Amino acid sequence: MSEYVIDINSLTKTYKTGKTDFKALNNVNLKIRKSDFVAIMGPSGSGKSTLMNIIGCLDRPTSGTVTIDGENISTVGDNQLAEIRGRKIGFIFQKFNLIPTMSALKNIALPMVFLGGTKADRNQRSSELLAKVGLTNWATHLPSELSGGQQQRIAIARALSNNPAIILADEPTGNLDTKTGEQIMEILVALNKEGKTILLVTHAIALKRFANRVINMLDGEISEES
Amino acid sequence: MIKDTFAMALEAMKSYKIRTFLTLIGVIIGVASVIMVTTAGDSVSSFIAEQWNVFNPTGMVIGTGTGGATPQLSVRSVVFTTNDVEKIQNLPNIKTVAPLGIVPLNKILKRDGLLKWESRPGEAMYASTPQLLEILNMGLEEGTMFEEGKNEVVITKNIAEVFGKDKPLHIGDTIYLRRVDGKTLDAKIVGILKESSTTSMFNALATPGIICPTKPYYSTYFGSNVGSILKRVVAYTILLAEATDTNHVQDAQDEILNYLDNGGSDASSYKDQNSDFVVITQQYILVRIEQVLSVIRTYITAIALISLLIGAIGIANIMFATVTERTREIGTMMAVGAKRRDILQLFLYQSTIIGLLGGLIGCILGASGSWFVVDLLNTNIQTLGGALSTGSIQLTYAPEWFLIASIVGILIGIAAGVLPARKAAKMDPVVALRYE
Repeated sequence: MSEYVIDINSLTKTYKTGKTDFKALNNVNLKIRKSDFVAIMGPSGSGKSTLMNIIGCLDRPTSGTVTIDGENISTVGDNQLAEIRGRKIGFIFQKFNLIPTMSALKNIALPMVFLGGTKADRNQRSSELLAKVGLTNWATHLPSELSGGQQQRIAIARALSNNPAIILADEPTGNLDTKTGEQIMEILVALNKEGKTILLVTHAIALKRFANRVINMLDGEISEES
Repeated sequence: MIKDTFAMALEAMKSYKIRTFLTLIGVIIGVASVIMVTTAGDSVSSFIAEQWNVFNPTGMVIGTGTGGATPQLSVRSVVFTTNDVEKIQNLPNIKTVAPLGIVPLNKILKRDGLLKWESRPGEAMYASTPQLLEILNMGLEEGTMFEEGKNEVVITKNIAEVFGKDKPLHIGDTIYLRRVDGKTLDAKIVGILKESSTTSMFNALATPGIICPTKPYYSTYFGSNVGSILKRVVAYTILLAEATDTNHVQDAQDEILNYLDNGGSDASSYKDQNSDFVVITQQYILVRIEQVLSVIRTYITAIALISLLIGAIGIANIMFATVTERTREIGTMMAVGAKRRDILQLFLYQSTIIGLLGGLIGCILGASGSWFVVDLLNTNIQTLGGALSTGSIQLTYAPEWFLIASIVGILIGIAAGVLPARKAAKMDPVVALRYE
């Protein structure tokens, strides 16, 4: 296996908008090591969301190769892509994206449900993760009964449930106040110290300091800050 | 995995209680109305069949009218002679035959004391032979059947009370019958008929109050040129017959028609050239009634099925709304590893559960609803009075319709859920996650 958990070679992504093609990503090459904490920054329309969608196995490249934790996702089918996504990627969204009809514990267990396994194992793992984010007493609460910071911690626990190689955080502090945002970032830093690769997509320059690598995007191309 | 998706579907439905309930109502009403219509239909059918079947199932009416596949009896001309009655009696598959003549009466009189007479307006009286009771499956409450040639009659309870409930006629009493031709004949009451709770073709013709022997009461003669002598012949418009058993009703019918048409019967020479001989069996009448009922039932069932269809459209509608509303959740589930198949299952389970639950509740509601409808019909039958008033409709459930309704419920659930579920499963996770 390669030393890189993410290995992107000459990645191009083109969207057809009417008659003209729009190149969202243009010949992107990016290698990310295990336990890197990478901040991807750039204005809207720069292509950072597209890059994140492809790394997150939600979308496929138009050309080029993308290898995620040893799996080349450029050529796999929908079902396999879903499987890789469930196993290797943990998503953290700006708006938390918890299922409103499910309790905190069931939200955490959701990624495990789609991979199978016994209910007892799932419950145990979910409870452990709930404890890890310090919300043991909130297991049976619905997302609507939790504060924004608590919801994001549940979302982090959910992202960890299948023990993925990569955590993809898309503006994780965007809907939180500064203090709560800091707490969330500290959790991410702690996870990085435990060996998780963290990809942070953000506008907020203030978050740069948590990362050990900063990648700037503009017009579908990347440049790395040293 | 399947169990988990199922549990998730149930959970989602629990979270949208009102929505689930309203969708259920659509299916429940549809299924319940199908069950009610079929159950009520079956119950009414078997009620009518039962009403008719207590009357001799081997019975038949012989007359003239229009033949063919749907024979019509028209009681018009007197054609059957005593000779014909005898010949038909001798046919192999005929058990009994009896003529039926109508004797219209002006008055029924009773001597009240030595010089006083009491009179009541008369009605039609049926003249026949003692075999009539057997063919009609009627019995005597008390007394005996009249003897042919004697001045004896049997009467119904209604006629027994014609001079007042407080002054009923008894066996052995003599009444006087004034025919429309002015002739008055005395008649000794020898029997009182058992009240019949059933409808027969005989009842359908008219309610016989008095049954008398053909001799001496019946006198429809007509001139006939046999050779050069004008003969007076006794003849009847209708004969009633009974086959030897239910398996030979058709044979008996064929034999009778064959005799009448080609067997040198008297009737064939007296009959109007434009009319045919007609034999209508009790079985045929039952079949005809069942045909009419089934047309009505099919029509109402079709209406009920439309309401089931509307229930299905309701499910589809709600499911589409739900899928759209939950777009971002669908995107999230896909992001955490849900395959398209998982999403498809999740929504299909929801619609199937609604279909199944609606089907089951609909069955229960339909069953109790039909009980209510039959009860209502029975009340109406009692108020209606007449020949049917003594019977009551028994609730007859058609079990196959319960099965059909439940299966249709599930099928409707699946069918109505397929398109919305496919819409959900086909979503692009990137787009779905961005959905506001």
